Amino acid sequence: MSGDPVRHVLGPILGSVALFGLLVGGALAYTATGGAARDDLVTQMLINGIMVVGIGVYVGNTGVMSFGHIGFGAIAGYTFAVLAISPERKAQIIPDAPFGLADVSLPPAVAVLVAIGVTLVAAVVIGLGLTRSGARTGAISAAVITLALLFVVHEVARNWTDLTGGGRSGISFSLGNKLEGRTWIYVLLFASILVARLFRQTRIGRLAQAAREDDLAARAVGIDPATQQMVALALSVVIVAVGSALRVYALGVITPRFFFFEYTLITLAMLIVGGRNSVTGALLGVVVMTIGLEAMRYVAGPDVNVAALDWLLRDGLTGIFLGGAMLGFMIFRSSGLLDDWELDAWLRRRRRRRRSARPDAAPPAGELPPPQVNSLATSDVTVDFGGFRALEGAHVEVRGDEVVGLIGPNGAGKTTLLNVMGGVVTPTSGRCIAAGRDLTGASAHAVARGGLVRTFQNLRLFGSLTVQENVEAAALMAERHRAERPGPDVESLLRGVGIWEHRHRRARELDYGNARRLELVRAAAARPDFLLLDEPTSGMSDAESLEMIDRVRTTAAAVGAGVLVIDHDLNFIIGICDRVFTLDQGKIIAVGTPAEIQANPLVQAAYLGSDLRTPGET
Amino acid sequence: MTELLQQLVDGIGRGSIYALLALGIAVIFGVMHLVNFAHGELITVSAYVGYGLFTLGLHWWALVPAILASSMLTALGIEFAAFRWVRNSSDFTMVLTSFGVHFVVQALFIMGVSANRRAFARPSWLFETVSVGGVNLEVYDLVVIGVTLLTLAGTVWLVRRTMFGMTLRAAADDFEAARLMGVRSNRVIRGAFVLSGALAGVAAVFWLMRTGQADPTAGLTPMLKGVLAALIGGLGSLGGAVVGGLALGLVEVLLISRLPDGVVGLTDGMVFLCIALLFVFRPQGIVTIRRAERV
Repeated sequence: MSGDPVRHVLGPILGSVALFGLLVGGALAYTATGGAARDDLVTQMLINGIMVVGIGVYVGNTGVMSFGHIGFGAIAGYTFAVLAISPERKAQIIPDAPFGLADVSLPPAVAVLVAIGVTLVAAVVIGLGLTRSGARTGAISAAVITLALLFVVHEVARNWTDLTGGGRSGISFSLGNKLEGRTWIYVLLFASILVARLFRQTRIGRLAQAAREDDLAARAVGIDPATQQMVALALSVVIVAVGSALRVYALGVITPRFFFFEYTLITLAMLIVGGRNSVTGALLGVVVMTIGLEAMRYVAGPDVNVAALDWLLRDGLTGIFLGGAMLGFMIFRSSGLLDDWELDAWLRRRRRRRRSARPDAAPPAGELPPPQVNSLATSDVTVDFGGFRALEGAHVEVRGDEVVGLIGPNGAGKTTLLNVMGGVVTPTSGRCIAAGRDLTGASAHAVARGGLVRTFQNLRLFGSLTVQENVEAAALMAERHRAERPGPDVESLLRGVGIWEHRHRRARELDYGNARRLELVRAAAARPDFLLLDEPTSGMSDAESLEMIDRVRTTAAAVGAGVLVIDHDLNFIIGICDRVFTLDQGKIIAVGTPAEIQANPLVQAAYLGSDLRTPGET
Repeated sequence: MTELLQQLVDGIGRGSIYALLALGIAVIFGVMHLVNFAHGELITVSAYVGYGLFTLGLHWWALVPAILASSMLTALGIEFAAFRWVRNSSDFTMVLTSFGVHFVVQALFIMGVSANRRAFARPSWLFETVSVGGVNLEVYDLVVIGVTLLTLAGTVWLVRRTMFGMTLRAAADDFEAARLMGVRSNRVIRGAFVLSGALAGVAAVFWLMRTGQADPTAGLTPMLKGVLAALIGGLGSLGGAVVGGLALGLVEVLLISRLPDGVVGLTDGMVFLCIALLFVFRPQGIVTIRRAERV
């Protein structure tokens, strides 16, 4: 599955080559017909391409908003400039450079490497901070932290005159004959595209995208987004550092203003307009915005003589275009022109469609793991929310080969108990032990890696990933963290619940019943010892929920997991469960077979005798 | 001692303006979960309205209602033109939308007026000092503090005692529940923008008195201060915003007067850094930022 070389390696490589070819080919065709101004424009565009692709590695894969990447760029740019400029030049502009830097002179290539290193150190610090602040898609804390980086770097650059030459003049320099053509830009641009594109297909990249779609659901299948975010940040900062050094090299000057708000806006607008979730989109955004800005400059320039423009001052046109593009895309198409469309993925889909006439192969027989004798037990779990006692001494036990129901009136504490088991709520007292491991108070992803995997009452899928990718994300986690335990492959899981034919559709396009089924197999793909299902039939029709009985049983059997299921549909509970626990006002009031529970007077009282008749007797 | 007292008054005066700005940002965050990085544009617009009327020869007193009105209208206009359409989008979308508004308004002024700075005379009596028990106080600070107190009292009354205030608080608490109870979302959000516009208008008057100039980026610094103060206060909390504003003003004044010359330029960055650190070490929010999520 992860070894699908066409999808994950070959395709992306060919796609990167094609993207690079298109971009550079177009640029060369443009410069061939114009003068030096065009050369400069193209150089800038290609460097911006590196920057935007770099920012996209983080923002696109993790969904965490960053205003700080240009701040990282400033760190890299200054480091590069200070190290690469000749001592003679430094004696003129920054004679008092600290740490003996005035005498340092490194070849540009080495200076870039040092710049990358310095920037990486900063990235690790910021990354740790972001992780601690609970960074996730669109998190405001992340926006503030990264914005703080941008401002701090800017202010330091403006005030540390000895090192940076200060706010106005900055450092201007010349390193021989500039960049000696664009060879280095081409090489590094291609490398950036390739790395960014391949990263999207790596294990870490795919797990990051799953967490981007739904942080909580990702944790619930054992994905810890912190690792992915850190790797994505490091990689993206390396690319941005390279791009920044190139930018400084090509411009021959660096001032604090070059790496501040305006450039942040330009690069972000490029990323957003093209589509932040794909490399193709990032590059398209760069091209579109470069053309747009250039067109605005032309209109604002002396060549265009339109009376309507004369009552306006033309300087603001580019700003209007930039802000307007950002605004327009946010309002009308916030996922950008291409969303997550990748050139190579599209080509692959086309080829597949042409071949799809032949029928799918028969499902391989799922091999059953050895029978489990594990058990899951919570003992004396008490949970207080402020003054409200949601659970009091709740004791539930599930064996690894049975399906156990948990019922109770609204507000009885069913979901709270599930949240305790799932690591979302820490109990005031009591323990939760699964397969011999004490999971009390463990974090959500640790619980999942410990073998307890849950689903959610209000469906939490990785919406813009495909059905198959949803399940693969959980399977990727399991391959690493549940390796000791065998499990069925993604295909047989999907076939088992009848959604294999939908595997290439986005999860958010599924109808409700199929979405529930997908959530079930995604949980199963994490190779759990126990599945915790929170209302798996809510919103389903009677026929669908009866059918779900088989789906849950076969899926659980296929992974060899015990099941604890909460549901309001008593026909479903009675049909599927070996035993049923009944909760009322935070306490377990009855345990037994479905028949015993139906006959229990306490249970009848809790439900006011209304719902607990024999199924079918409505 | 007297020096410290003087600095305290100075800091409270400065902080009052920040508090007004932060309050407006907090009100909007409450109903929309949006950090409004375009809040400073209200100051920019006010600055140009003030400049325009001043060059027409109007007296300072006549500017005040005009500035208030233009600030409220601009807030409404921005809501109508941009924020209305992204109301239920992700935080990502909303923050970038507010940045988009920020840059569009700025560019509109560059285009329609000029990128240059327009300076105008400030009322001189404001910057005379009065001596109270050996402490020299600027009239300006006293006026700012006094008017801010009145404005805050008015806001408290509005939020606590009026029907609009009740719907505002209900919407901030749980927007969906408030809607189910019959609160009209359009009306309450529009009301929140008008309120934040009015507060920004008052702040703008003070800001103009101090700076006496209009340029397309006039709103950037006040926006930043307002956002920082609102962050200190916990974003959604109105009381927190006021405290955050005062705290920011005081800290700034004390830092500026005590830091060595070479480092004074770093004040904003240091404040920013402190807030970032707060987010890192108290991720649950300085007061409360996250809402309990039902799973």
